[in-house]
Amino acid sequence: MHGYAISLLGDRQSAEDVTALAFERLYRCRARLDSARGTPRAWLFAIVRNAALDELRRRRRHPSSSAADAPDTEDERSSSALERAERRATVRTALALLSRREQEVVLLKFHGQLSNGELARVLGISETNAGTRVHRALTRLREGCAELDRQEVA
Amino acid sequence: MRLVPSPGLHEDSWHDEIETALHGEDGGAAGAAWRELRADVRVLAPPMSAEFERLLSDRVGEWTAAPPDDKAAPQRRLPRRGFKRLRLPSGRLRLPSPGHLRTAGLLATAACTLAIAGLIAASMQPSGQSARRELRPASAVPATRRNRVDELGPANPSAGVKASAGASGGVSNAGRAEAAANVPAGGEGALSAPGHVQQLTASVTLSSSPGEVQSLADRVTSLAVRDGGFVQSSQVQQQAQGTSEATLDLKVPSAQLSSALAALGRLAPVRAENQSLQDITGEYDAARRNLADAVAERKALLQALAKAVTQAQIESLRQQLALAGGAITRTQSSLRAVSRQASTSALEVTVVGDARAAGLTLHQGLHDAGRVLTVALVVLLIGTAVLVPLVAMCVILLLGGRAWRRHLRERALA
Repeated sequence: MHGYAISLLGDRQSAEDVTALAFERLYRCRARLDSARGTPRAWLFAIVRNAALDELRRRRRHPSSSAADAPDTEDERSSSALERAERRATVRTALALLSRREQEVVLLKFHGQLSNGELARVLGISETNAGTRVHRALTRLREGCAELDRQEVA
Repeated sequence: MRLVPSPGLHEDSWHDEIETALHGEDGGAAGAAWRELRADVRVLAPPMSAEFERLLSDRVGEWTAAPPDDKAAPQRRLPRRGFKRLRLPSGRLRLPSPGHLRTAGLLATAACTLAIAGLIAASMQPSGQSARRELRPASAVPATRRNRVDELGPANPSAGVKASAGASGGVSNAGRAEAAANVPAGGEGALSAPGHVQQLTASVTLSSSPGEVQSLADRVTSLAVRDGGFVQSSQVQQQAQGTSEATLDLKVPSAQLSSALAALGRLAPVRAENQSLQDITGEYDAARRNLADAVAERKALLQALAKAVTQAQIESLRQQLALAGGAITRTQSSLRAVSRQASTSALEVTVVGDARAAGLTLHQGLHDAGRVLTVALVVLLIGTAVLVPLVAMCVILLLGGRAWRRHLRERALA
């Protein structure tokens, strides 16, 4: 969840805020948690998503008041495996080429490990629509990675 | 880089494949590739800081350690030590609390409903029956119509005579104005419009239990006497069964009519009331004109008497003077009578003793219960009529607000 938030916001501080708020909200509303309407994980991700989107909107309104931090690359710098570093760079680039909506689907799928039903609950769409979005986003991500890989080889 | 194989033609099987791979089941080379891609995506996000992870763990530990039925725990702890405060001292990213919004919405709806239902019920309340209330005569309401009062009262009958004596014929407005100047301060009564003389009459029907008709009639009499009035006639009819009734014809000073009516309203429930106002300016002016004519005639006769030389003329003039004196006396009486009409008001009070007003009887109890139920149903009906559109409006606003908020959020991703 924290990874999803930080990937969406690009800012560690905001991501931690959003994560904390999601847990707090989940705890306060635990009595109203209806398992028939979705899993707690889907609920948590929905809260995180709404809060993150609100933050993105706020940044649009006040662009000077926040500066998105660059993702922490410490792990990459310390990585000794060049191949892994290259692969991650390719994935980051391919991910950045996706639209924000597609990025969001990928992040929810990989960070949250949400099923299509849970994704549908988080995004407020039908399960079929969620499956289509996942398929389209992952296909584009994969194709983007392949294209970048081919360019690198060439 | 390891490429993930393309999915099959069927999207369902593709989803099954990816779900199997991501949930750690083997899935072969394709499954491993999906897991690797997931790991690559996940590692792009830096891990949680140690401090935040510790805070989060502590807080979740506190929450899970709290008794499950401790409903007050989050309200007691979170506003002070929640992450919202720890992480967001500036208050940004604060999410609206749905519980608070809902409570505020319910309270606002209830307040609006009560206010509107109260206003409607108040506007629908019957105005004339079965209510103890303050009565005010019609002439007492407009302040601008109180400027001339009661100058024609018995205490000051000469004012009109003096005014007419100054005028050789008819009654001038100046004479009425002079009379108005003699009105005592705070006077209130028959005259309402400037230059007009008016007579007030009122009738009031009071309800009472049959056994209390006589005592209530006595109290009404005492009230009239206290206000400077008197009982012109009274009739009390007591019956062993059924209704009893008392009728009292009162005369009260016009200036006291307002307070008398108010006092009657406090004595017993007013079943009906009627007030009327009659303009008697014409009668008043005619009486003053007659008086002026009679005075002028007497003056002329006196002058003629002074010039008379024969005994026959003198005798004749003396007889005419006697007749003129009688005419003056009559016109003065007539003027006083008109003045009295204006300065005193006729108040007819009817006390109706009805067994239904006695209270604490089965019939009265059933009647009251029926009335209470009727009123309750009316209030319920009005409340529902007010509440339904309000709730519909609130639901529409809520749904519209949600849709708009969602639209704005989705735009953040565009």
